Amino acid sequence: MFKIDSSCADLAAAYKKNPLDAYPSPALQKVLQRLRWGNARGRTIVVCTMPAREWRLGKMGERRGMPVELGGQAYNRYEDALWACFRARWREVSGEDCPVE
Amino acid sequence: MSKLPKRLLGYTDKVSVAPGDKIDFKISSPLSGKYDARIIRLICGDDSEGGPGLKVDPVKTSIDGSYTARWQPIHHGSYAVIDNGGAFAAKAITLDVMIWPTLPADGRDQALLGNFDAATQSGYVLYIDGSGHLSFRIGAAAPVRLSTTLLSRHWHHVAVSFDSASGKVVMHQHRLMDYPRVQRSDTVEATISGAKTTGGSRFLIAAWSDKENAAAHYNGKIDSPRVIGAALGVAALAALRPHDARKLPVIADWDFSRDMSGIDIRDISGQGHDGRLVNLPTRAMKGWNWDATEMNWRHKPEHYGAIHFHDDDLYDCGWETDFTLTVPAGLKSGIYCAELRQKGPDGEIDDMIPFYVRPPRGTANAPVALLIPTASYLAYSNHQMASSWSFDELSSGKFVTLSAGDRYLEENHSFGLSTYDSHNDGSGVCYSSRLRPVLNMRPRAELWQFNADTHITDWLEARGIAYDVITDDDMEAEGLDLLKNYRCVVTGTHPEYYTTKMMQTVRDFTNEGGRLIYLGANGFYWRVAYHETLPGVLEHRRAEDGMRGWISEDGEYYMNFSGELGGLWRRNGQPPQGLVGTGFAAQGFDISSWYDRTADSFDPRAAFIFEGVGKDEKIGDFGLIGGGAAGWEIDRADELLGTPPHTLIVAVASEFPSSYHWVKEEFNHTHSAIDGENCPMVRCDMTFFETPKGGAVFSTSSISWAGSLFHNNYENNVSRITENVIRRFIDPKPL
Repeated sequence: MFKIDSSCADLAAAYKKNPLDAYPSPALQKVLQRLRWGNARGRTIVVCTMPAREWRLGKMGERRGMPVELGGQAYNRYEDALWACFRARWREVSGEDCPVE
Repeated sequence: MSKLPKRLLGYTDKVSVAPGDKIDFKISSPLSGKYDARIIRLICGDDSEGGPGLKVDPVKTSIDGSYTARWQPIHHGSYAVIDNGGAFAAKAITLDVMIWPTLPADGRDQALLGNFDAATQSGYVLYIDGSGHLSFRIGAAAPVRLSTTLLSRHWHHVAVSFDSASGKVVMHQHRLMDYPRVQRSDTVEATISGAKTTGGSRFLIAAWSDKENAAAHYNGKIDSPRVIGAALGVAALAALRPHDARKLPVIADWDFSRDMSGIDIRDISGQGHDGRLVNLPTRAMKGWNWDATEMNWRHKPEHYGAIHFHDDDLYDCGWETDFTLTVPAGLKSGIYCAELRQKGPDGEIDDMIPFYVRPPRGTANAPVALLIPTASYLAYSNHQMASSWSFDELSSGKFVTLSAGDRYLEENHSFGLSTYDSHNDGSGVCYSSRLRPVLNMRPRAELWQFNADTHITDWLEARGIAYDVITDDDMEAEGLDLLKNYRCVVTGTHPEYYTTKMMQTVRDFTNEGGRLIYLGANGFYWRVAYHETLPGVLEHRRAEDGMRGWISEDGEYYMNFSGELGGLWRRNGQPPQGLVGTGFAAQGFDISSWYDRTADSFDPRAAFIFEGVGKDEKIGDFGLIGGGAAGWEIDRADELLGTPPHTLIVAVASEFPSSYHWVKEEFNHTHSAIDGENCPMVRCDMTFFETPKGGAVFSTSSISWAGSLFHNNYENNVSRITENVIRRFIDPKPL
C-alpha cells in the first residue's frame, strides 16, 4: 500500500498550488486517493458557511443528528479551505504533520 | 462562529395540479407570530455566482396573506400498530418472535413487542436494552434481562412469558446459527410481583407507545410475531416455532408474508387483530427461513415473512394544512412555488415550496412539454451522500464540502432519507416520499435535478419558446394520453428513475410520431415503482449492478410495491440506448468538456441541427456546470445495447480527466484503464434518429448541457443547437 510521508512533500506543494486542478499528476492522485478513501464521518471536511464567500473546516459527528464541529478559521477562497483540509487529512492518515505549510 | 439559521419548512399534498385543482400547503415554523405567503412562478432557481440569478414572477392568488406560524413535529421511525390494546392484557401472556437485530447495542432501548406505554409506565414489552440484551419490562418494575447479548444480523428466536398471578417471568433466546465459541442460547427465570399486563390503548411492534407517539424504535427485521394468552414454561418457550399448529390460546399471530405490497399486517390467528404499518418499514424481506431456493418473494412468500424496521424511516409527516390554493383558471402552466417569509429576532427566514401547474387535463397550451422528472427528484430527496457513502470523495474527486442545506440535514436527523442513502443500521433506503419537507429540491439549492432543470425553463423563457410543464407523476397516471397532446417533449437534465409505465409511455410516444429531446444524461437508468394506493412514494431496489449508493442483499431484488425485479433497466431488457440512442457511460464532477462535430453531423438529415454552427466549432466549451456542455454524467451510443442502426452520432465529447470513471456495469473484470484519460468508453455521444410515423429523438447525453444555455446571454452554439432542434421538432413537417 502506498504510504504518505515526508518524501511526498513535492506532491503536497503541487496540490497547494492548484487544489482544483482537474489533471493532477499520477503521483499526486495516489496521495489524494489515500486521503479520500473511506467515509467522511469523524474526519476533517470542508463546510461552506456563506455561499461562494466563506468556508471553514469541519467534522461531522459520530452519527447523524449531531452538530458539525466547525473550525475557527474562516477562508474566503475555496482553494484555501481545500488546502487546509488536505493538510488535516495528511495528519489523520499518516500520523505526521504535512511538511508543507 | 457560524450558526445554522432556523428554517421555515413545508410540503404539499400533491406534486402536480391543473387549473381548478386544490393543493394543500403544510408549514412548520420554529418561530411564533405570522409568516407571509404568496405564489410565484419560477423561471430560474440558480442564484449562484455567475448564474442567471433567481427569477420569479409573482402571481396574485387567493392565498396571498399572513398566516399564524406554528411548529409541526416530525415523528420518524417505523413500527406496526394494532389498535385494540385491551385484547392483549391477558393475565398470563407469552410473546414469541423471530428477530434479526441490526443495531442491538445501540445505547438505547429498542422495543420488539408489547402494549407498554412509557408515559404511564404501564403494560409490558419485550425489548433489547442499550447494551444488546434481550429484556422484558412490565409496568414500572425493574426489567428482567438475559446475560447473553444478541448478535447483529443474525436470526434469533426470542420469547418471554409472564404470569400476573405468580409474577413469574421466563425469557428465552436461541440463535439459529451456531458458532463454537459464541454462546447460542440463554434462558432466565425471575419474579416480578404485583405487576399488571394492562397497558396502553394499543399494541405496537418495533416501538413502544409514549402517549399517542411511538418511541424506542427498533432497527432490524421481525418475522412471525405472536402473542399467546398463557404463560409457557422454559421447555415450551424453547419449542415454539413460527405459526406452529399446536393448540395454544393464541391472541394474535401476524404473518408478514401476507399482502406484502401494502401497509396492512395480517393476523392469521382468527382473532382479527390485523394492524397497520407506520412510516413504511421495508417489506418483502428475507425471513428467518429463507434458504436461497427462491429469489422472488412472489414465488415463495413464506420465505419472505420479515419486515425490516428502521428508526429513521419516514413516510408522511402528517402535518396539518396551513392554506389551500385552488389553482386559478387560466393559470399558465409552469413551475410554481409558495414563497414564505417570516421576520424573526435573527433576521428573516424563508422557504420556497415547489409544485407544478399543468394545463387542463386532456389539453395542451403549447406544442412543447417540459417533462419534469419528479420520480428522479423523489429518488434524490434529502440525500445525505456525504455521510452515507464510504466512496463519496473518490467518486466525486473532491473533499466533502457541505452546503448549508447538507449541514441542516446532517444536524437535524428527522427529515427522512433518499434512495441514495443508508439507514442508521447500514441497510439501504428503498423508499422515498415527498410528504415531508424536501430541502434539496428547491430553488437556490445545488445545481442538481430540480434547480439544474430551471436552466431549461430560464432558457425557454429567454428564447420565447412556449411550453407546458408536465411531470412523471402525470405520465404515470395517464400514460400516452398525456404525451400525445404534444409534438415535442423535452426531458430534464437527469431523468434517471423510470417506472415500467413511464418507459412504455415514452416508447409509445416516439413510436407514434412524437418527438423527444433528451436534454440530459444517465436517464432511463433505474427501474422504480410508485405505489398503487399510497401517494407520493417511490420504491427502488439497487439490484445486481450499476452505479449504486448501496447494494441490495441477494434475494431482495424484487420490489414489494409492484412485484417487479428492481435494478437497472439494461438488466430488465430495456437499455436506454434502445429508447433514446445513448445510455450511461461515465461520470465525473470536477470539469466538463466540449463536443466536436462528427462526419455524421454533415449528413443532410442532421443539417437542421447545426444550422448556424461552424463545421469546426467546439460545441459547448463554456458553461455553468464544470465549464462545459459535456459533463458530470455522460452517455454513449452502442448498437449492441439497442442504439438504432440508423442513428447519427452527430457530435462527440471525449476529452475528460481521470476523475471521470467508466460505469461499472460495463466491464467484466476490474482493471486500471477505466477513467477519462485511458478509457475510450468514457465519451459523450450526441445523437439523432428518426422514429416511426414522423417521430424523432435527439439526445445531448450530458447533464451539464443545460448549464451552458445561459452563456453569453443565451447566444451560443449550445443554445443554437437546442433551439434548432426544438423549432424543427414542433414543425409538423415530416422529418
